[in-house]
Amino acid sequence: MREAPPLLRTPPGPPQPPLTHPWGACGLFEDPGALVEAARRLRGRGPLEAYAPHEVHGLQEALGRKAPPLAAMVLGMAILGAAAGFMLAWWTTAIGYPLKVGGKPEGSWVPLLPVVFEVTVLFAAGTAALGMLFVLCGLPAFGHPMLATRAMTAITRDRYALSLEGDPGACAQALREAGATGVEAVHLACHAPKPMITLAAAGAGAALAGLLAFTLVKAYPELRPMVRMERQPRVGPQAPSRFFADGRAMRLPVAGTVARGHMPSGATTEAEAQHHLNPLVPTPAVLAEGRAAFTERCAVCHGALGDGRGSLGRAYGAAPADLHTDRLRSVPDGHLWWVIRKGRNAMPGHEADLEGTRVWALVHYVRALQRSRHALDSDLPEGNP
Amino acid sequence: MSPSRNPALAMAALDDQVLAIPEGAAPPWWGRAIACTASVTALGFALMAWTVYRGIGVWGNTSPVFWAFDIINFVFWVGIGHAGTLISAILLLFRQGWRDAIARFAEAMTIFAVICAGIFPLLHVGRPWLAFWLFPYPNQRDLWPNFRSPLVWDVFAVGTYFTVSLLFWYVGLVPDLASLRERARPGWRRGLYTLLSLGWRGSATQWAAFGKAYVLLAGLATALVISVHSVVSFDFAVSIVPGWHMTLFPPYFVVGAIFAGFAMVILVLSVAREALGLQAILTWDHLDAMAKVVLGMSCLMGYAYLMEGFTAWYAQDAHLARAFGNAVTGQYGWTGILTLACNVAVPQLLWRRAWRRSYRVLLPVALAVTVGMWFERFVIIVVNLHQDYLPSSSRPYVPTWVDLGILAGSFGLFFTLVLLFVRFLPIVATSELKARGDHA
Repeated sequence: MREAPPLLRTPPGPPQPPLTHPWGACGLFEDPGALVEAARRLRGRGPLEAYAPHEVHGLQEALGRKAPPLAAMVLGMAILGAAAGFMLAWWTTAIGYPLKVGGKPEGSWVPLLPVVFEVTVLFAAGTAALGMLFVLCGLPAFGHPMLATRAMTAITRDRYALSLEGDPGACAQALREAGATGVEAVHLACHAPKPMITLAAAGAGAALAGLLAFTLVKAYPELRPMVRMERQPRVGPQAPSRFFADGRAMRLPVAGTVARGHMPSGATTEAEAQHHLNPLVPTPAVLAEGRAAFTERCAVCHGALGDGRGSLGRAYGAAPADLHTDRLRSVPDGHLWWVIRKGRNAMPGHEADLEGTRVWALVHYVRALQRSRHALDSDLPEGNP
Repeated sequence: MSPSRNPALAMAALDDQVLAIPEGAAPPWWGRAIACTASVTALGFALMAWTVYRGIGVWGNTSPVFWAFDIINFVFWVGIGHAGTLISAILLLFRQGWRDAIARFAEAMTIFAVICAGIFPLLHVGRPWLAFWLFPYPNQRDLWPNFRSPLVWDVFAVGTYFTVSLLFWYVGLVPDLASLRERARPGWRRGLYTLLSLGWRGSATQWAAFGKAYVLLAGLATALVISVHSVVSFDFAVSIVPGWHMTLFPPYFVVGAIFAGFAMVILVLSVAREALGLQAILTWDHLDAMAKVVLGMSCLMGYAYLMEGFTAWYAQDAHLARAFGNAVTGQYGWTGILTLACNVAVPQLLWRRAWRRSYRVLLPVALAVTVGMWFERFVIIVVNLHQDYLPSSSRPYVPTWVDLGILAGSFGLFFTLVLLFVRFLPIVATSELKARGDHA
C-alpha cells in the first residue's frame, strides 16, 4: 500500500473542535476495482457512500442503487416547457394582442414553433443542470462532514474512498477489514458553514446596491441617458418668444385665412347670435356628447341637474344661474350658444375648449335638462301606465 | 489497470499540470497580454458609451443600410461560439474521445463569444436600457412582441443558447473547481473555489447524476446549436431583401458558424498550449483533427456559394441576379473575392497532413478563415442591403471610426475573457480525462 500523495494544503489536525459529534469513518482505495469490491462487501453494514475523482461505472449497482430519475425529470419539464412556450406565443398572437401578419389567421401556429422549441430546450436543459446539482446531488452542501476530511483532498485528485456512517471506531475497523488505507474518523461540525454566510451577505449586498441605484435614478431623473428629445430648445407653456418681434409664442392665423375645421360662426355680436338656430338634430349621440361636455365643464358650478347648486359655486360664494328659470327656458338657442362661448358674469367663455359643434350639442343637453323638470304628459312614451 | 498510454494524462500529473496554472504566480506574458487586451476593451466600451450617449448616428449606418457592423459583428460572434458547443456536445454524442481535452476551452470560448455577440443587438436597439421591451410581459403600454417575427425568435434563441451554454460549462466545471478547492491554501482563492464548487464531494450518487446530466445536456445543446444559427439566418431569409430570401440560409449559416468557430479555437488553443506548456495534453492530434473539420466545412462553404449562384441564375430574377453580381463586382466586389479566397481557396492547403501539423501553415489559414468569415457577413448584410428594389433606395455604406473601434473592442473583450479564464479556471476538463482511464 502506497502512502497518500503529498498534499498541497496542510491537513487539519485530529478533529477536536468543541462543537462536533461523531458521524462515521472513511478510508481510501487505490483503484476503482478495489473500490467496487469493497463497496459490495460493506453493503448493508450501514449508510455507505463511495467517492471517486471521476464517474466509475458499476459503482451505483455495487452500492445497490438505481439510476437517478433525471431523464424523467427532464422529459416532464420539456413537455411543460413546450406547453408554456406555445401558450405564451399563441395567447399573445391570437388573443392578447392579435396581429395580422401576411394575411394568415391570427391563430396560425407554424411561425410560433421556433419560440416553442427554444423554450422547450431552456426548460429541459435548465432541469438537467439545476435538477442534477440542486436536487439529485443535494448541493450546495458546504457543511457535509466529508469535506473536512483529509481523504477529500485525495478523492478530488486520484484516489477512491468509502465512507460508513455510525460509531467511528467500529466503522474504521470495518473499512480496514475491507482493504481501505488511511482510514480516519469523520466528525460533523455543528456550526453554519462559512460559504452560506458569504452567499447570504452577497445576496443582501446585491439587493442593497439595486435599491440604491433605483433610489438614485428616481431622485435624479437626469441620470437617465439620452433625454435630449425631452430637453430641446423650445418655448414652454405661457412663455414669451424671443424670436418673433411681437413676443407671441403662439402665432395667430395669417390675416384673411381660416384654419381647416375652424369655420367662424358668423355671429360677431350678441344680438346677431339670438337669431342662430341649432344646426344639430337631438339624436341620442348628440345628447350624449352634450352631456359629456356639461359634466366636464358646467356641472361643477351649475350642478349636475342644472339647478345652480354645483359644489364649486357654493365653495367660492358665487351664484351660478339656475338653468330652470322661466327666463332661461324662454331664451332662444342662439342666446345660450353665445353665453356658453363668450361667458357671462363670473363664468368664463368656453369658445377655446369646446370646438366645432360641441357647443350646439351642449345647448341640446341644457334644453333636455330643462325639459326634464317641466315635462308634459305627451312626453311620456306611448303605452306607459 | 492498463499501463499508461500517455504519462501526462496520469490523474495526479494531470492535476499538477492543469490545476497548477491558476495556483502559481501569473507568468510575465500574462500581465502584458491582458494589459493590451484590456486597453482595447476599454476603448471599445468608451466608444459604446459614446454611441449610447450620442445615439447610433455616430455609426456609418444609413438608409437603406440600416444593418451594418452591429449585425455583422453579432452574427460573426454567435458563429464563433458554435464551435464550442459542437466540440463539447455533438462530438461527445459521437464518442469522439479526442474532444475531451479541448472541450472545456472551446466551451469557454462559446460563452465569451456569445457575450461579445450579445452586446451588438443591445447597442443596435439604440436605447439599451429599454431592451427589456423585447421580452413578453404584461405592461402598462399594453404592447406584446410579435411572435411571428424572426427578431423575437432571435431573442429567444440567443437567450436560451447563452443560458444553456453557461449551465453546460458550469456543470462540467464543478468537479474541477472542487479539485482546485482542495489544493488551494486558505485565502480568498480557496473561498472562491469553495463557493463555486458548491461543496461537491465526488460521491457515487453525485457522479451518477452528473454523468446522466452531462449526456442529456449534450443532447439538448446539439439540438440547440443547430437551431440557434438557423434562427439567426431567419433574420435574413424570412425578409424579402434580394439575396437574403433563400431557403439555403439556415444550413449555410450553421456550416459557416462551425467553420469560423473551429478556426478561432485553433488560433486561441495553439497560443494557449504553447504559452502554458500543455503540449502533452493538447497535442498536434487535436489540432490536426480540428484542421480536418475546418477543411470539410470549407468545402461545404464552397458548395453553399455555388448554390447561391445557382439560385440567382435559376430563379431568373433580375434583382437576385444583381445582388449576386454586386457581391463579386463593382464597389464592394473586393469583399466577395476576399471571402471566396479566404473561405474556399486558402483552407485547401489543409489537405496535406504535414501542413495541418505546422503552425506556419495552420495559423495563417485559421486567421484567413476568421477574416473571410467576417467579410462573408459583410457581403451578406451590407452588399445586399445597399441596393434595394427601387433605384432610389441605393446608397453606399462607409463605416465610421466608431464602428471600427467597437469591433476592435469586441475582440479585446473576447481575448480579455480568455486570458482571465486561463488564469483562474482549469482550462482542461481534468475530471473528464480522468474518467477515460488513460492513467495508471
